[in-house]
This record gives sequence, structure tokens and C-alpha cells, in this order.
Amino acid sequence: MLIYTLRRILTMIPILFLVSIVVFTLALAMPGDALSGQINPADSSPEYIEEMREELGLNDPVYVQYGRWISDIVQWDFGRSFTHRMDVTELIGTRLPNTILLSVMSLVITYILAFFMGRYAGRNPYTKGDYTIQGVNYLMLAIPSFVAALFAIFIFAFQLGWFPATGSVGSGLETGSLAYWGSKLYHTFLPALVLGMLVTASYTQFLRNDIIESAQKDYVRTARAKGTSENEIYNKHILRNSIIPIVTLFGFDIASIIGGAVIIETIFSYRGIGELLVSSISNRDSAVTMAIFLMLSIATLIGNLLADLLYGIIDPRIRVE
Amino acid sequence: MEAAEEVKLEKIAKKQSPWSIARRKLLHNKLAMISLAFLVLVTALAYMAPWVTGYDPGRVDIMSRNLQPGEGHLLGTDSSGRDIWTLLMYGARTSLTIGFVATITVILIATVIGSTAGYFGGWVDSVLMRFTDFVMNFPFLVFVIVLASIFRDAGIWALIIVLSVLSWTGAARVVRSKVMSEKENEYVMAATSIGGTPFKVIRKHILPNVMTTIIVQATLLLAVMIVAETALSFLGFGVPSGTPSWGNMMTEARDPNVIRTQWWVWIPPGLAITFTILSINFIGEGIKDAFNPRSAR
Repeated sequence: MLIYTLRRILTMIPILFLVSIVVFTLALAMPGDALSGQINPADSSPEYIEEMREELGLNDPVYVQYGRWISDIVQWDFGRSFTHRMDVTELIGTRLPNTILLSVMSLVITYILAFFMGRYAGRNPYTKGDYTIQGVNYLMLAIPSFVAALFAIFIFAFQLGWFPATGSVGSGLETGSLAYWGSKLYHTFLPALVLGMLVTASYTQFLRNDIIESAQKDYVRTARAKGTSENEIYNKHILRNSIIPIVTLFGFDIASIIGGAVIIETIFSYRGIGELLVSSISNRDSAVTMAIFLMLSIATLIGNLLADLLYGIIDPRIRVE
Repeated sequence: MEAAEEVKLEKIAKKQSPWSIARRKLLHNKLAMISLAFLVLVTALAYMAPWVTGYDPGRVDIMSRNLQPGEGHLLGTDSSGRDIWTLLMYGARTSLTIGFVATITVILIATVIGSTAGYFGGWVDSVLMRFTDFVMNFPFLVFVIVLASIFRDAGIWALIIVLSVLSWTGAARVVRSKVMSEKENEYVMAATSIGGTPFKVIRKHILPNVMTTIIVQATLLLAVMIVAETALSFLGFGVPSGTPSWGNMMTEARDPNVIRTQWWVWIPPGLAITFTILSINFIGEGIKDAFNPRSAR
């Protein structure tokens, strides 16, 4: 397993290099560069702009610019955001905890919902309850995240008034205090619920089908024959076997959460990485866009790697390639 | 007497082709049929919009801004005074066209790459599959947003190309594995031994047998493409803002006040998207079920 892990990590290095080239190329092609936000082209002379471009190195050959960019990144310098007037690392540092909180909460919601719904449906297949859960699943799979988010805001925030519609924390609270964290969790719940629902359906379906399949296996028949109670069969024998494969889905979740977070954060004006990405692209803040794009690509890469590794742990046959 | 029997036998034999079995199964699947009818209705309304509504989707009417649903405007009007029902139909046209065209493009790319990799194997396979993995490794939505922001002013076709270029990977993998297992069959060897070129063997012998997989993938992709277009347009990176599309109609709902007070602006397109995706998913399930020899019915 150690050799397999090392091999997988080593093969990531050339991929990381290629990813960085793609990110850099796309960022070059995007409208706006490091200069566009710093001066107003309308009231400065072409000579001045040219001088600034020369100074910032924007007239250098592309590979020189790439080399400078990548060596800065290796030294943990992602440049400066002109809209927020601070270093990109610092800016991302203020936003990242929010996104992580949102992701963790959404995963917890996913696991809880999927566990109970999947267990119920798998234990009582082809009953009314099962069909209801299947129906809910179909709806969750069909409804796009941003539509679900709007309905959630409309119903839970405006009609019922249970949760705030936007924002990531209440105003006027001292950072780090108990009230601050409470407010944070309270603000995060609704977006996390919507985000979590996105993947709940596939988890539920997976668990349900696995339980139904396992229920026909020999070890279950053996357990039943020796008089084990149905509760024990389902809760101990089957569930333990059915939960394991779900672990492998965790890696893929990282990828789907990243995509979902961009949309959900924007709708809820939730101050996280995804919202920052969308606003940076709109504001042509290229340093921030590049940093987040690279970061999310690497996170997805790690997610996929994790999925492979977890799969290798659970199914040893995968390791022997 | 014997001749009649033979005709009868032939009839039975003819009925048993996999396609006719699948068609019969699909026709008996109520949910899939209702969904198909719904999708056909939406498509028909979308492409016949000018004959169904008297309003012009592009006309701004300051006198009738933000009207509630009622007389004259069946579903009310938006902040520019455009009729929601009219926008809904014209929007369906944009969203469905992008969905259909992007799906066809993606399926073509996926089929070419998947069948080439699967049929030839060896280094061709490893090069193509490494490339597929590489594209797959990017966060789809983030990548699409970045690419779409580069080609923002290039219009609908640029969006279709962006969506297609980034979403063929999953389908290509499925096609590849299917072609790989299909290629082991003796009829492929027979076709090769009588001098069939790889292209001909793939097109005439292998692809028809992979077709069901491709069709199922296509229905999944159609749903993904429509969601991607609407989500992108909603965020402002999709269809140009003047063009009616389901996603563009919902952009107004990025303002919480609109969500609260002008529900008629965003609920109709929201429901339209959801029910369209739902019906596509049911049709996809139905097709998958129909071609599955193990399924009942």
C-alpha cells in the first residue's frame, strides 16, 4: 500500500506541472491583467501605461512570465489583489475557513440524511416509504443547485424566517466569541443544507442498493439461520459491509463540493472562496482568479487521488496494476 | 399450411430483435412515456414560440414593469416589462438548443476518442486515456466559468464549444470500456480477417453494439448540459444577457428582494428547468431499463 501510495503521489508531479501551465495560459487569455486594475487607462498617457507594463514585466516573453509566476508561487507569493488591496494569500486566508466550514457542514448533513434514508429504503425495499425516498432522490438529482438554493431562501428564510437569507456571519460580533461562532453556524446551515442535498441522492441510492444486494448474500442467510434478530442482521452484519464502499465516494465529493460551492456561495453572498472566484473574474482581478483556479484544481486533483487511495485500501486488487 | 406457419415463425423471430424488445418495454414504461410527452411538449412550445405568443421577447416595456401574473400577462412581467410566459418559451429554445447541440458534439468527441482508445489499445489507448484523465482532473464548473469568461462576448456557439470541450471525458471512458469488451468477440475478428479496415470495423460492427450505451450516456449528458448552461447564465458567464434563456431569466433572483417579492420572475424558469431535467432523467432510466435484458417486463 505504501508503494502504491508513493507511486500515485509521484505521478501527480508532472500532472501538477501541466495543470499550472493550463491555469497560467487561461489566465493570460482572460480579459484583464495585473495592470488593468491598477491604473485607469482613460486618464493616463500611453507612454505611462507602456512604462508600467514594462515595469510589471508584462512585455516579457510568455515563458519568462510563467517562470516568474511559478517561482513566486513556490515561495508562497500569489501576488496582490487590487480590488481588495491586500495580498492574495492573506485574502484567501480570510475566506478559506468559511468555505471549509461550509463543506464540512454539508458533508455532515449528507452523511446523516443519506445514512437514515438509505438504511430505511434498503431495509424496506419496494414499500411506500422506499418509493417516497426514491421520489425525493429523483427530485434532488434533477433540481439544479442554484434553483434549490433560491427555493430554500424563499421558503426557509423569507416565508418561515428560520434562517438568514444571505451572509456568512452576523454583524457587530466580536471575532472568536461564542456568539460569533454561533452566528456563523447559523448562517452556514442553509447553504450547507442545499450543498449537502446535491450529493445526498447518490449516497442514499448507493447505500440502499448495497443493502438490498447484501441482504441476499450467504452470510446473511447464515446469520438468519442461527437465529440472529433482524435488527442485528441489518444494523451489524449488513450495515458494516455497506458503509465501507461509501468511503471511497469521499474523494469525489471534494470535486463536486468545489463546483457546488461556487454557485451556492454566490447566491447566499457567503464570503468564501467560490464567491471570491466569481467576483474576481467579474472584477478582472487576475491575481486572485489565478490563485483560486490553481487552488481548486489542485484540490480536485487531491480529491481524485484520495478516492483512488481509499479504493486501494478497501479493494486490494486495485493496487496490483 | 406450412407456408403460413413459416410466416408466423418469421414474425415471431422478427419481433425478438433487441431494438423491438426495448421499444416495447419503453412504450410500457408509463413514467418514461409521460416524461417523453412532456419533453416533446416543451420542445414544441420552444420552437413554435412566435406562433403561441404575441409578445416580443426582446421588447422592453417601461409601462408594464414587474406586473403580477394576471390578465394580459399570464405569468406577469420582469423588471424590463418583458412577458414572463413569452420569455419562458424563447428561453426554452435557447436552453434546449444549447443542450441538444452540446450533447451531440460531446457524444461525437467521446465516441471518436473512446472507440479509438478501446479498439487500438496499446500506446494509443494510454496516450488518449492519460489525456482524458488530465481533462477530468479539473473542477468542471470552475474550468467552464474561466473559459466562458474568456469567450464571454462570442455568443452561444462559443458557450456550446466550451461546454463540449470539457465534458466528453466520462462518456469517452464508458465508450472505451464497452468497445474493449466488444472487440474481443469473434465477429470482430471475422470482420478484420476478411479485410475490414479499423474504421469500417468500428463503424459497421462495433458501434451498433455500443449504441445503447451511447444513447444512455447521451440522455445523462443532455441533463448535465442544460443544467450547466442555466447555472452559467445565472452566474453571468453563459448566454449573453440580452438573449432569453432559462438561466438568464433567473439572474434577477440574485437580488434577495426579487426572491422575496417577485416570485413570479424566477419560479417559472426554476420549475421549467427542474421538470425538464426530471423528465430527461426518467427517459434515460427508461431507456437503460429497456435495454437491460435482465429487467422484468
